[in-house]
Amino acid sequence: MVEMELKRDRIVIRLGTKKWEWTLEPRYWRNTLLWAAFLFTVPILAYFVSPGLINTMISANIYAAIAMPLALMTIGTGRMNFGPQFYIGVGGYTAALLSIAYGWGPLTTLPFAILMCIVAALLFSPLVIMARGLYYVLLTLLLPLVFLEVTFIYTDIFKGDTGLFGIVPLLDTGNAKNNFLLIGYFSTALMFSYLWIINKVLKSRYGLIMASINDDEDVAHSIGININKVKIIAFVSAATMVGIIGWFYAHYFSTFSGQTYLPLTFMLKILLVLMIGGRAQIFGCVVGGYFIAFLEMLMIRFMGPIQPLLFPIILLVLLFMLPEGLFGLYRKRRYREYLPTIHVRR
Amino acid sequence: MAPLITVRHLVKRFGGIVAVNDVSFDIHEGETLGFIGPNGAGKSTVVNCLTGYIAADEGVVTMNGVDITKMKPHERAHMGLARTYQIPRPFPELTALTSVLASSISGKKRINQSFQDAMYDATHYLEFVGLFSKRNILARDLTFYELRMLELARALATTPKLLFIDEVMAGLNPGEAKNATRMIVRAKEQFNVTVFWIEHVMAVLMEAADRIVAINYGAKLAEGTPEEVVNNDDVIEAYLGRGWRNYA
Repeated sequence: MVEMELKRDRIVIRLGTKKWEWTLEPRYWRNTLLWAAFLFTVPILAYFVSPGLINTMISANIYAAIAMPLALMTIGTGRMNFGPQFYIGVGGYTAALLSIAYGWGPLTTLPFAILMCIVAALLFSPLVIMARGLYYVLLTLLLPLVFLEVTFIYTDIFKGDTGLFGIVPLLDTGNAKNNFLLIGYFSTALMFSYLWIINKVLKSRYGLIMASINDDEDVAHSIGININKVKIIAFVSAATMVGIIGWFYAHYFSTFSGQTYLPLTFMLKILLVLMIGGRAQIFGCVVGGYFIAFLEMLMIRFMGPIQPLLFPIILLVLLFMLPEGLFGLYRKRRYREYLPTIHVRR
Repeated sequence: MAPLITVRHLVKRFGGIVAVNDVSFDIHEGETLGFIGPNGAGKSTVVNCLTGYIAADEGVVTMNGVDITKMKPHERAHMGLARTYQIPRPFPELTALTSVLASSISGKKRINQSFQDAMYDATHYLEFVGLFSKRNILARDLTFYELRMLELARALATTPKLLFIDEVMAGLNPGEAKNATRMIVRAKEQFNVTVFWIEHVMAVLMEAADRIVAINYGAKLAEGTPEEVVNNDDVIEAYLGRGWRNYA
């Protein structure tokens, strides 16, 4: 039975022989609350100034919401997954196919999308035990590309060439502008909930265990960590979180096409969010997501035809100039506690 | 004294090379067992087999009567085996305190231990090895001696019954080496651990070890008190070569 105990500065939770302490320190809440308030006022401002900005904001939130579970997966498995968009495909196609076939709404398709992602992730989870380094990178890189081929081969099911359409939309108020605003808030809430969950996990004992696996798997094993269990749990839960984004994409656009999300170009953007934000630090993912979404929007608007060339060049230059990422600039000055980052291996 | 660990007919082959060849010995509770041998004799391989880092090809290892030959490293750690490495292997991106914290969380399944409780434990072990002032420094920025001490703290934080120490002296200057030896002897007294100590510096083992096992080419040469082992002709021959008497 769960027992809760409220002390002066903490809540103590006991379950059987386990004990968790949740420290409540309101003096650290200020920045979080300020940023949350800022992000929740931006859509309503954009609603009156330039509704197009909400669209950019939604992409930014979603980039961040893909990069954060990827950061968790990278840290928890100690390996860099180059194909998390595979799970966007799994979640998105499950939601899209069910919605089209049975006319189901987003709430009905969500559990099925989650279930399919868990099954797919469990199916491929032995990779995190068997494959290391370059082999793991190659195998994960191939998965979404193979899935993309499958959508073309079984084109009568997946509609690989045209994309699936006619999916029940996420929200329908009858007014497109209002829909945008509400989905903007929804994506912000989704991003914030991911941020909160992953931050809590990474700061807890499980985060520390994952960080030690990220640093040295063999030593982690020898100090008593069941590395296979931790790696599989991290892999499956993060993959499921990425899959939920696929569900969001399918219902948000009412269409879903593997060609948009499964190729490498999309993955490259997510990887850059991860690295430019700050080497897989989760707050960095949010910074990186917003930076890249807005940079992309500005480039498309003002740079015209040279945009596809200039965009990667700017990002590559930034990657060399800021090895610790944009969030690293802040952290350099305010080093308070440990946050795990990607440990780059040869 | 009852044997804590019994090793019987341990064999490990790497392809055609027999790294450990039919080695049998006991580790008694509360003793310091020295383990010596020339370079490449298979000392570290024995430790790797005992801690589960690599699987033995043949032989049986039991701990308090329980067969642990096929157990995974983390299960052995929960049973009370901890080790340090010949070349320190810290968690480079973790601070000194969090490195020790990781092992104090996962070393055993402790009831009613929260993250904060584990932090108090970790602080104690860090203080014991004299690294408290470096608690917030990343492990990759520590000096070699500090890394050795951090490894010791990390191993002790799992609350082991048996501590495998793999060449603590390598790469330390005489002053540091003296401190390190003293630290291990203190750890043995304070935390009531049995020590299995691989070392090249004989002077240290002569002083600290209760018994010594010597191996060469993977096979056991001698076992006994330090005096018996260093006066054993086979051991001297293994170190100095055949015909050493001509030059003595």
